[in-house]
Amino acid sequence: MLKALRNLAFATAASCMALSAIAPAHADTTLKFVSWQKDEPGVMDWWAALVQKFEESHPGVKIEWTKVARSSYVDTMTTLFAGGTPPDIVHLAAFEFQQFANNGWLENLAPYFKEAGIDLNGWTGQSACEYNGETVCLMLLYTGYVMAYNQKLFDAEGIAVPTNWDEYIAAVKKLTKDTNGDNIPDQFGTGHDTAGGGSQYITEMMNYILDTGARFTDADGKVTMNTPEMIEGLARWKMVVKDTLTPRDLPSADIRQLFSDGRVAIRLDGPQIWPIAAKSPNAADLKLAPVPFTTPVGGGSNVLGMAADISDENKKLVWDFIALAASDEMQSAYASAASSPAPSPRADMSEAKAKVEPFDIIAAGAKAASDAGIDRLPKGLEIQFNEFTKMVKEEAQRMIIEDLDPAAVAATMQEKAEAIQKQ
Amino acid sequence: MRRTPLQSLALYGAVIVICGILVFPIYWLFITALSQPDALRAMPPKFWPEHPNWGIFAEVLNDKPLLLWLKNSVLAALGAVGLSMVVSIPAGYALSRFRLRGGESLGLVILTSKMLPATLLVIPLFVIFRQLGLLGSLWSVILAHATLIVPFSTWMLKGYFDTIPQELEQAAMVDGCSPIGAMIRVVLPVSAPGLAATALYGFVLSWADYAYARTFLTSAQQNWTLNLGITTMRGEYISNWAIISAACVLATIPVLFIYLFLERYLVGGMTAGSEK
Amino acid sequence: MAQTNSERTTETFSGRPQGKSTWFASLDLARPSRRHWLGYMLLAPAVLLMIAFVAYPLFVSLDISFQNVGIVRFDQPRKPFTTANYEKLFTSPDFWNAVWVTVKLVVVVTTSCFVLGLGTALLVNNHFKGRPLARLLVALPWAIPEIIAVVIFAWLFDSSFGLINWLMIKLGLIGSPINWFSTPGAAFSAVSVVMIWKGYPFVSIMALAGLQSIPEDYYNAAKVDGANVWQRFIYITIPSLMPILGVSMILSMLWVFRDFSIIYTLTGGGPLGSTETLSIMTYEEAFGFFRMGYASAVGIITLVICVVVSRLMLHRAPENL
Repeated sequence: MLKALRNLAFATAASCMALSAIAPAHADTTLKFVSWQKDEPGVMDWWAALVQKFEESHPGVKIEWTKVARSSYVDTMTTLFAGGTPPDIVHLAAFEFQQFANNGWLENLAPYFKEAGIDLNGWTGQSACEYNGETVCLMLLYTGYVMAYNQKLFDAEGIAVPTNWDEYIAAVKKLTKDTNGDNIPDQFGTGHDTAGGGSQYITEMMNYILDTGARFTDADGKVTMNTPEMIEGLARWKMVVKDTLTPRDLPSADIRQLFSDGRVAIRLDGPQIWPIAAKSPNAADLKLAPVPFTTPVGGGSNVLGMAADISDENKKLVWDFIALAASDEMQSAYASAASSPAPSPRADMSEAKAKVEPFDIIAAGAKAASDAGIDRLPKGLEIQFNEFTKMVKEEAQRMIIEDLDPAAVAATMQEKAEAIQKQ
Repeated sequence: MRRTPLQSLALYGAVIVICGILVFPIYWLFITALSQPDALRAMPPKFWPEHPNWGIFAEVLNDKPLLLWLKNSVLAALGAVGLSMVVSIPAGYALSRFRLRGGESLGLVILTSKMLPATLLVIPLFVIFRQLGLLGSLWSVILAHATLIVPFSTWMLKGYFDTIPQELEQAAMVDGCSPIGAMIRVVLPVSAPGLAATALYGFVLSWADYAYARTFLTSAQQNWTLNLGITTMRGEYISNWAIISAACVLATIPVLFIYLFLERYLVGGMTAGSEK
Repeated sequence: MAQTNSERTTETFSGRPQGKSTWFASLDLARPSRRHWLGYMLLAPAVLLMIAFVAYPLFVSLDISFQNVGIVRFDQPRKPFTTANYEKLFTSPDFWNAVWVTVKLVVVVTTSCFVLGLGTALLVNNHFKGRPLARLLVALPWAIPEIIAVVIFAWLFDSSFGLINWLMIKLGLIGSPINWFSTPGAAFSAVSVVMIWKGYPFVSIMALAGLQSIPEDYYNAAKVDGANVWQRFIYITIPSLMPILGVSMILSMLWVFRDFSIIYTLTGGGPLGSTETLSIMTYEEAFGFFRMGYASAVGIITLVICVVVSRLMLHRAPENL
């Protein structure tokens, strides 16, 4: 028996050593960086360039760059932070960093910016990064929506590109049809994400809501959902979804694929639609135009920050990384990579304009949204964002499923939003 | 066989139809992998792609470190199964041979552990593994998977050992063997089918895990398992379903392989495992 | 007192038996009164593993459920004890909806798995050419990881381009495509179908195992007595299978209770909470709304329900565990 035990002990030790040998050798210092954009067309090249530049100027420091899927991003990051092993370089969506800041997990960057003499005035969307008097992040991208459309499908029906709601809905209705005679619609006038989470759902709804002048909250953070404008906005959303003028139950990635395939005629989207359209086999037919509404959807997209609970030495390194990302050179490169204006007022967009054909349209969209103060993160509901969006999504779905009157739904949403806010 | 031709026909017909329906989703996965991206949402659906893209498998292997993920899944599964066997064989044997106080309630406790939702345990486990320095290492999932496997395998092995008459060990001990020696040298060889069934069960369970791998291995890309790797293939902006399906097909091959080998023992192992 | 040779070699503390040179040998475990120790020793590794990695985390979760905790931080002092989470739970309509949905899902999925599992086992128990292949195919879904199964069925159930809608329209069962994931009843059905597909093979394998262990003599004797197929089924097959079916039912049931990835990836708990089971609710509260104290309370209640239900089911067949 003893011999058996001894052999077992050796075997365990051997396998321990074998498994630990799989771990790679470490550089002197490793910064941990987690992002969902590691393989996104366009921005991934910018990040790769940033990482490479940083490593070149900091010999002995390596950046361990890990991809985490967007669908599991928040809970993965939450687990990492809650367990005490946050990434050094923090990359988050603009509507989810508030919880992290609330827990004191993000380092105040204001002193760093001040010392480095970087002026953030005029930095698009940066005001959203001010939390409790601290600058907890750097806004990486503020986008405005554009309308991507399929010229060929429009020409086939003989319609012009819409410039307002009435033209839009008429076009969408005409473009939704069955093309192969089996009585099942397989071409859709427009495409919305109705399968994603709450935040994506309300972003889609906002296309129509903003046009009527409705807002979720006002400048003071008071809930303003029970208004005639909101009721009209809800009615329009209901019409589009209920009559299946958009494919149902698909996430945005699949909708974009359908647009690329030529099965969806219009896609209201952020600038990320452009690289996809440009790479499509139908690229010649796919064009961009301003949204046919008074105000496009817009908002902060993603932010860059620093974990608060890391060593001072690492903090200095992470700061260098952030400063590099904010540098004029990298900001100019960002515009081309993201097909969208970079937030820095000093970024040089000439290269972007040359590379991205409809750049001016995209930039105009971002400006229009920014001027109107649009952000899909409603003021006064930042912390409860997830709950708020879930509620709105549910009530909107209820409206569609049970065929409710939008007026009643608006009232319900008002009441529930106020209750959430009070928590 | 005293079966009429009609009965035979009915039987074969039923078998073919039912097996066909039940296995159809797997077939669908396969042809999704082979389809061209723009044909994926073709109406009417095609039951065999017009231009099957056999190169997709090479493409996905080139594109993503599938072989690395495969290696990690295999290592994790082997480790989990190994650890579980080392732990549950003695445990099952003990419950079978010794009239231990609390032997029955132990069974219930073991069953209770099967009732725990993963979300409840994830953060405490995360902290434990961090303190042990195991985060990002395959050992964290090996241990976590073992906790999933051990309850059922202990119980299954206990049942299996129950069917083996104690005379065998007693004979060995009379010949000078120690009790544990008797267990190892006499009982284990005889219970090979039961062991194989337990090993298969453990392997499938470990292979299928996603929640634990996602929580403990995220920060260590070089240790990602297949399930974890595949879910990261869903881009935020666009998803290439053909590539994802191809990766899924490749991900199921190993477990199917093992299943093919050990399936015959599964029935036998389960039988003995639940009889008294 | 005279001792035989064998007795001498089994002495413990006083004598040093010949041929064994370590102190360990003096703790001779073959001795009847020491056998218990060996038993507990063999059991120890399993128990330790479960205590360290299951019992302790469970205890921590229980602890958290009694605190008003948002995001759990282990480096901060413990928050005060409060039963507020549980009070909130019992008065929350969302909670009771989750309980109802979970119960519905458990009943539907477990019953269907029972029927389909037993049915396929009976089918495959016959002798025919290609039987090993059929046996293999029937149990195949078990080997497919859940997230891959979800990929396949999300595809098949696609509202606009899915095969299932297309088939049902072609067969005239429905007039226009069903929006599987935005209609409450349909979403529940879709989730059930996926879970049944993943869950029935386990019952099938167990049932097949049970069927193969029923001695032929029982059937022969019954045939001699004039029993027909149906009677043989009712009076021999079912009773002999009860133990094994009982166990597989409990395990199936527990699986449905715990399962998270299938439902979450398919519907996220919607629409309108029609597929929001207790485990989905636990996850959402923890990682969606960052209310981990509350989420732990939901998880603990789920556990309690499982224990109670299993106890009830086990009572009906106590000799099987």
